[in-house]
Amino acid sequence: MGNFIKKDLLIFWRDRKELITVLILPILLVIILNFAFAGLLGKDTESNLDLNLAVVNQDNATDSLEKLKEKLVNEGLVGEGEANVFVEQASHLDPVSMLLNYLDSDELKGLVTIHELGEEEAITKVEDGDLDGILIIPDGFTVESLYAAFVGEAPTKSLEFKMEKETNNTSILFDIVQGFTDQLNYQFALQEMDALENEVTLPTGGVEKVGAGESFTLTQYFTTAMGALFALFLASTVGTKTGLEIRQKVFNRILLTNSNPILFLIGKMVSTFCLTWLQIMFIFVFSHFILDVFPGRTVSFWFGVIGIASLLSLAIAGLAALFTSISLRVRNIDAANGIFMLVILLFGTIGGGFVPIYVLPDWLQQIGEWTPNGISLVMVTKWIQFEDLSNIFTPGLLLIGIFLLFTLLSFALYPKRGEA
Amino acid sequence: MLETIKLSKSFKGKKAVQDVNLYLDSGESVGLLGPNGAGKSTTISMISSLIKPTAGEIKLNGVNIINNPEQIRRILGVVPQELALYEALSAYENLKFFGSIYKIRGNELDKSIQRALEIVGLQDRQKDLVKTFSGGMKRRVNIAAALLHHPKILILDEPTVGIDPQSRNHILETVRMLNKNEGTTVMYTSHYMEEVEQLCDRLYIMDHGEIIASGTKGELLSILSTEDTIKVQLSKMDDRFVTQVKSIEGVRKVEAANTNLKIIAKKGINLVSELVYLSEQHHIQLINFHTENPSLEDVFLHLTGRTLRD
Ligand SMILES: Nc1ncnc2c1ncn2[C@@H]1O[C@H](COP(=O)(O)OP(=O)(O)O)[C@@H](O)[C@H]1O
Ligand SMILES: [Mg+2]
Repeated sequence: MGNFIKKDLLIFWRDRKELITVLILPILLVIILNFAFAGLLGKDTESNLDLNLAVVNQDNATDSLEKLKEKLVNEGLVGEGEANVFVEQASHLDPVSMLLNYLDSDELKGLVTIHELGEEEAITKVEDGDLDGILIIPDGFTVESLYAAFVGEAPTKSLEFKMEKETNNTSILFDIVQGFTDQLNYQFALQEMDALENEVTLPTGGVEKVGAGESFTLTQYFTTAMGALFALFLASTVGTKTGLEIRQKVFNRILLTNSNPILFLIGKMVSTFCLTWLQIMFIFVFSHFILDVFPGRTVSFWFGVIGIASLLSLAIAGLAALFTSISLRVRNIDAANGIFMLVILLFGTIGGGFVPIYVLPDWLQQIGEWTPNGISLVMVTKWIQFEDLSNIFTPGLLLIGIFLLFTLLSFALYPKRGEA
Repeated sequence: MLETIKLSKSFKGKKAVQDVNLYLDSGESVGLLGPNGAGKSTTISMISSLIKPTAGEIKLNGVNIINNPEQIRRILGVVPQELALYEALSAYENLKFFGSIYKIRGNELDKSIQRALEIVGLQDRQKDLVKTFSGGMKRRVNIAAALLHHPKILILDEPTVGIDPQSRNHILETVRMLNKNEGTTVMYTSHYMEEVEQLCDRLYIMDHGEIIASGTKGELLSILSTEDTIKVQLSKMDDRFVTQVKSIEGVRKVEAANTNLKIIAKKGINLVSELVYLSEQHHIQLINFHTENPSLEDVFLHLTGRTLRD
């Protein structure tokens, strides 16, 4: 067993080109991407990127709580008394002022200037090029959002973002608004859960807790995405190397002995696990030292990162085992390699390794959340923001599930003696 | 000690090996000779339990081992036709890995590795990566990897293909030494007649998946006892001349290459006068003329109508 692992690690170590590809390239990409985007977002913005966003508030907030109560009672969801309680609590949760606070927050100050305008005026100014975009808060937004939160459905009214033409500036604005929506949805989701469990009692600390969560930066995204993406590449590399072992007939030598050939497969899994783990940690640690990706994080934060890296490595080891079995089965190794690459690119894309996931259609995003890299991206995102184990427990189980599934498949596909 | 009975293998209905009966006695050196595609490697793969026969038996000391190959795996060393080595590892590292999967450990493994390296003469290059080796050296590591567990039977599948004469001699010498000095039973596969002639006490000739002849060299040559092989060198080649030589009574086969003719004819016919007569007619001079002792190559030609290298 140990001899199989040692052999795989040694062969990997000797392949300097491969080594550089899986270790140095991702870090290089993180740095390049970081500077490419920092040029847009970072230093320049502090001086004068100065995006001008018109906010058109069509929502009449004064009577929205009344309307909410009316709606709840009319639809027969709750009695008068309960509705009063909910409305009372919801009054602390005004989405419009949350949005305005967000746009006015320290993070965004100096980046965006808010102009509260009427719709007509806003449109003229955007057309004249004085402003970069318009954010419209539609009538009934408050009522609908709170109502949606109460019943746990998607709100029927959403923020509208308008621009004259797509530019870098407008897409940054869009990201900012998107960021808010995500945050809002998240807060309401928390609230919804509690509303159901505790009979319409809003958690007093809930909102503040979320507010206190760390933000997830672009550099952190790049680091995580590259780490997960290149871990995938490692799985296909292992498959390819197996192909070479077939071509070089060394696999037959193993069959000539009384050693159980399954040790070959298990050896691949263990060595892949070690390599992937080292690779991910290498990327995280070096990116951190070079770019200060996770400033001021505690030891327990890093333990979480190690845990997530381990789970991802496990899933990748399963994938590598599957690729190994396939390599041993197929006649045409090159075709197999092509398929591995395709799977990796597919997982990479829908799991958010190349582009931020929200540019993909919804159904793809949902599939993407089932890829090993997609899951680990979600886990790291949540861990960075909340550092709360309960947030990453389920996706962690999912990674273990993927590991088990791939392992089972690879064992089932692994050729019996005389078949290879 | 090892014996196959009506061993057969088909790949998708196509017969690769058919009804092969052969045996190896302890301490013998046996050759398996045949052109490419004859079924030599397939036979070896079945004996070494890499592939399952379609039909037939393989017996080790009288016991059929097709379904219990553990026994034979322990005492069999196989040198595969292709190099089966990790190019990225050193000779030593390769042997260490291959030795370890034979469950040889620690000190004993190290001793086995050094012995195997010494046998193939690569002790001083053991730390170098296999990919830096010449073809001949790689072949030698390939052999060393089959010696680590001190096999009683060593099967070599064309171990000298595509290498320089010096490495080739080294390998032949190694095999001879293992057989004569260490008492290893050897089965040597080749499509080079000379190697098998030099090395083996007994041989099997294989063609199209079947064994077409077997025995000691002398026994095989006696197949040709009714024939003479005559070599003639001409001043020029003439197709009509060749055609007429073929039609001489008693001539069985004529092969022409450049200005040389190789004629296989029934023993005792008066070929000389016929040839002199025909050559004068075609204004060809006979530059050289001699009767050859038949070789195994001629035996193969006689049996199959083809040469081994075709
Ligand atoms: N795995 C295989 N699948 C299909 N045909 C095979 C396979 N292995 C060998 N053959 C065929 O069996 C015949 C014998 O091959 P082989 O044993 O390699 O001959 P040799 O070693 O004497 O050159 C050849 O016609 C070859 O094409
Ligand atoms: Mg062969």
